[in-house]
Formats: sequence, structure tokens, C-alpha cells
Amino acid sequence: MIRTGICCLVLVGSMAASAFAAPLQVNPTGHKAAAADISVGANGDMAILWVDRSPNASAPGNHDRHIAATDVYVSIARAQDGAFGGAVKVNAAAGAVWGQQVSRPRIVATPNGTWHVSYAVNDLHPTHQKTALTTHYTRSTDGGRSFEVGRRLSSLTDQDMSGTIHGGFVSAAAFGTMAAAPDGSVHVLWIDTRHMQPDSDSGAMYAAVSRDDGQSFSVERNLVNTGVCPCCQLMAVTNDRSELLLGSRKVLPGSIRPATVMRLSSSSNTSAESVSIGGAPWQIAGCPLKPTAVAVTGDHVFAAVHNGGEEKPGVIFSVSKDNAAHFDFKGLVHPEATVSDAPSVASNGKTVLIAWHARANGPRHVFYRYYSLDGEPQGEIREILTGDNAAQSPVVATRSDGAYQIVWQQGDNIFTDTLAGQ
Amino acid sequence: MSAKFVIAAILLAFIAPLSWSATPAKAIQPPEFKQILNSYRGNVVIVNFWATWCAPCLKEIPDLLRLQQEKASEGVKLIGVAVDEPTENSAEVERFRSRYFPAFLTYARAGAEMDELAQVIDPTWNEVVPTTYLLDRQGRVVKRIQGKKTLEEFRSALETITRK
Repeated sequence: MIRTGICCLVLVGSMAASAFAAPLQVNPTGHKAAAADISVGANGDMAILWVDRSPNASAPGNHDRHIAATDVYVSIARAQDGAFGGAVKVNAAAGAVWGQQVSRPRIVATPNGTWHVSYAVNDLHPTHQKTALTTHYTRSTDGGRSFEVGRRLSSLTDQDMSGTIHGGFVSAAAFGTMAAAPDGSVHVLWIDTRHMQPDSDSGAMYAAVSRDDGQSFSVERNLVNTGVCPCCQLMAVTNDRSELLLGSRKVLPGSIRPATVMRLSSSSNTSAESVSIGGAPWQIAGCPLKPTAVAVTGDHVFAAVHNGGEEKPGVIFSVSKDNAAHFDFKGLVHPEATVSDAPSVASNGKTVLIAWHARANGPRHVFYRYYSLDGEPQGEIREILTGDNAAQSPVVATRSDGAYQIVWQQGDNIFTDTLAGQ
Repeated sequence: MSAKFVIAAILLAFIAPLSWSATPAKAIQPPEFKQILNSYRGNVVIVNFWATWCAPCLKEIPDLLRLQQEKASEGVKLIGVAVDEPTENSAEVERFRSRYFPAFLTYARAGAEMDELAQVIDPTWNEVVPTTYLLDRQGRVVKRIQGKKTLEEFRSALETITRK
């Protein structure tokens, strides 16, 4: 692990210190890392996951490589000393992971300390001899020291959709998310193109659930048959009742693609209607690349996403106080920025932290701000100072001590730091 | 000149615009992208930001290629910019381009920042693909088009620029 002196945290507009320590580079030097995720276990251990797109990822074992050839790595910080351990490779076959910023592998922990990872893979369809993009899962039951051989959760369908989705994939099950609930269930969800029509840009949403800590998974289930933006990532979290809150984008007539949150029961996987988080309608027959970020505390659900429909496009923030039945639109989080995107949200039960990347003056940097549970800003917008180095794609998580942990990409490296819980 | 050669030349003239292979996708940095755009001054340029995983992008690329072909005599040029994660020698983008869109002249980003090439044209680009920019003969951005459009919509958008 490398302690870097490149970065430091300061306030924009005031000089109050907020960081506990200098940022740490998590990935080994010399590797090209991207698309980080972070999760905190019940015992306080933290896991940071990233995609390694180093050239040696294209080794044998990566069969019909299509457009990405990456590995997934994890580093664990024990609660006792907080020090991150060495990088552990998650996938067995080198370079088999279709991992990138727009289709991030995910990591979560169940209460007994098992780490669960989901990721998309370039599988070779045995009949069509073409690439099928599938969702895989693996777990570590030894505290992140090793991972089981990955298992495919999405089925290989019979049809060849490569002519419809134009990407050579006979089918695609990617852009997914994962969540672990307090009841121990593990939910893996993905966007699926198996029902996509040639003249449509509408995908489906599928899920598989494990109720035995990842030892086995249910057969995949079609949660939403149509109307899901096919290349907009999903984002799921769970509340203390083990319900899932799922952020996604709908496809409505006229190519309006609102960011929505859907509540699903963990026990039955029955779902409520997806609810728009508000903001101006965005007409876009395309791929907004970042997911609808969601966090939850009690009945409060917080959602943030880039909305290109606003008069000045940028990250918007909305709050629900009734478990995602309705959302109050709070507006842009960084109206002064030239452009802002890629929000991540976390809540420690007392405050809400939103982090995002934006261009204000100069290179793209990571910014963050605290909010009350009612969605009111607390303090100024703060910036993770990286000088002339661009920084992007932050992800935040609540630590067991109530502080927040943030991870971001800076060039080809992944950094992390601790932010006060306020 | 033999009759066979003449027939072959005539056939080639018809087939080539549909099937000719453009230069392999090259990974570039912003300064090179600026130079490339400058070299097209005097042309109307369609700059299309796309990605290999973006279904709406892939659906409109054939229309953009057809539009370029239609408007070639009016000096219309099409340039693609793939925003996929960079790989060594842009191998993944090139593998895809050569297989599915061999006539598509496209570049790929070389750096870690997805928006670094778009910044050359548009400081407010919000990382949405497809995004298509229409540049006039002086190299100025005249129009930003986001989301998949039809051939007719692209024709219409281009109309006002090519007439100038």
C-alpha cells in the first residue's frame, strides 16, 4: 500500500479540516486500476474493489474477448488496525471480466463476514460461438484472503440477439448491482437484453437471490420485463427491514428516461412501482453512464443522479421520507460547476454525504457535501484536492465508527480516504 | 486497358463506399485530437462520440456512415471517438470497428478520463453517448445532438450547415 503525498483534503470556502488521514493509493503501482467500489462489513472491516486493466489481463483463459479484458481485485482493511492488506485477485480466469466504469463489479458483506462479489463476464455461447455477456458471482468466506471460482447467475438464452443489440453479444446481462440485507440475503440484479426488440431501446431487469450466504442462488427472476434503460447502471441498497431500494432509469414514451427508485421486498421479491426522483424530464435515447445513487436510513431514502434535462445539466439530489413512496426534489448539488456527474450517496443515520465529480476550473475533481436527513445542505461544498491531477468516479460508504470512507479514481490509480461523520 | 480491368474498376467504385476499410482506430490524446480536427477545416465535420457497449450508438452508426456517403460531395466528413476504457493500442475498439463498422473512421481515448477528448470540443459534455457534434467549415461547433437520431434527423440537422 502506498501512502501518497499528492493529495490533501481542504474546504472550498473555509479552512476547517475534515479528513482523518492522508489519502491512500489502494492498487499496486504499475497496474491500471479503475471502477472502484467499497463496502463495510458488520465487524467494521472494509473492502475496496477495483478493476485492473493491465495488459497482462489478456492472458489465456480469456476466451472470446470482446471489448474489455480485465481482472477484479479486492483489498481488505481490518477493523482492528485499519490498514489495507494486499490486493487479492477475485476472478479465476485471467482477463475474463467485462469490468469498466459503466459496468462495475460490486462488493457487499453479509453480517457473518462473508464478502460477496458480482461482475459481468464475456462468456462464449456454446451454440452460437459468439460472446454472451453474463453476470457472475463469487464469495470469500475467509475474510477476503481468497475467493471461490465464480458462478454464472444469468442464463444463456437460446436466441442470438447480436443483430439487434449490434454489439456482437448474443445476449447481455450486465450493468448490474448487488446488495446484502440484514436478514442475510444477497441480491444480485442486472439489466438483460433478451427481450429487446430490434426497434426498441428497452431492456429488462433480472435478479437472483441467495438465502444461504451465497452458497446457492435462486433461479434468475424477471423483475421488470421492459422499460428499463438498457445501458444505464443499476444501484441497490437495503434498509433495516431488509427491503431493497433499487435505483434505475426507466424508458418512457418519447425517450424520456427518468431516474427512479423501486422498493422490493426481500422475502418475496415483490416490488412496488418505481418512483421518479424528480427533476426536469430528460429526453435521451442514449446512455447516461452513471447510475442513480441511493442510500437509506430508516424511512429516509436519498437519491442522486446526473440529469441532463435540467436547464443546467448536473447532479440532482432528492429525498424521500416515506420509504421511497414519494421524493422531494432538492435541486442541483453543484450549480456552479461547468458539469457534474457520477454521484455516490451514503448516510450514517445522522447525516448524508454526497460525493461526485465535476469540472469547476481546470481538471475534473471530486467534490462532496454533507446534508441533513431532510436533505438540507450542511456546510460548504468541499473538494478533494488533487492539484493538476484529474480525479473521478467517487464511491462513499458509512464506516462502523460513523465516519465515511471515500474511494475514487485518479489517473490509473484508486485512492481512498476517511471523511468525518459530522 | 483490358475490359476486365474496367469492369473491376466500375464495380469497385460502387462497392467501395459501403465496404472499404477505414484507418484502424487509433488511441489519441487531446492535443492530437485538436490537430486532427484542425486538419478538417474547410469541411463540415460530424464528430460522433460512441462506445462499443452502447446499443443506441451502434444503431445510429450505419445511418451516419450513409449520411457521410450522401454528403461526400459537399465536403462532409465523419469522425468517431470511442469512449471505451482504453486498452493497449486501442485493440478492443479496433477489433470491434473492423468487424462491425469497417468503413467507420474512429479514434479511441488513450487516457483514463472518459471526457478528455470531448473536452476539446465541449467543456460541458456530460458523458452521455451517443453525442454527436456538427462542426462548420471553420471548425466551430454548430450543434450538439444527444441520444440516438434517425438518418432523417441527422440530414435535417446537417442541412443548414452544408448550405453555408
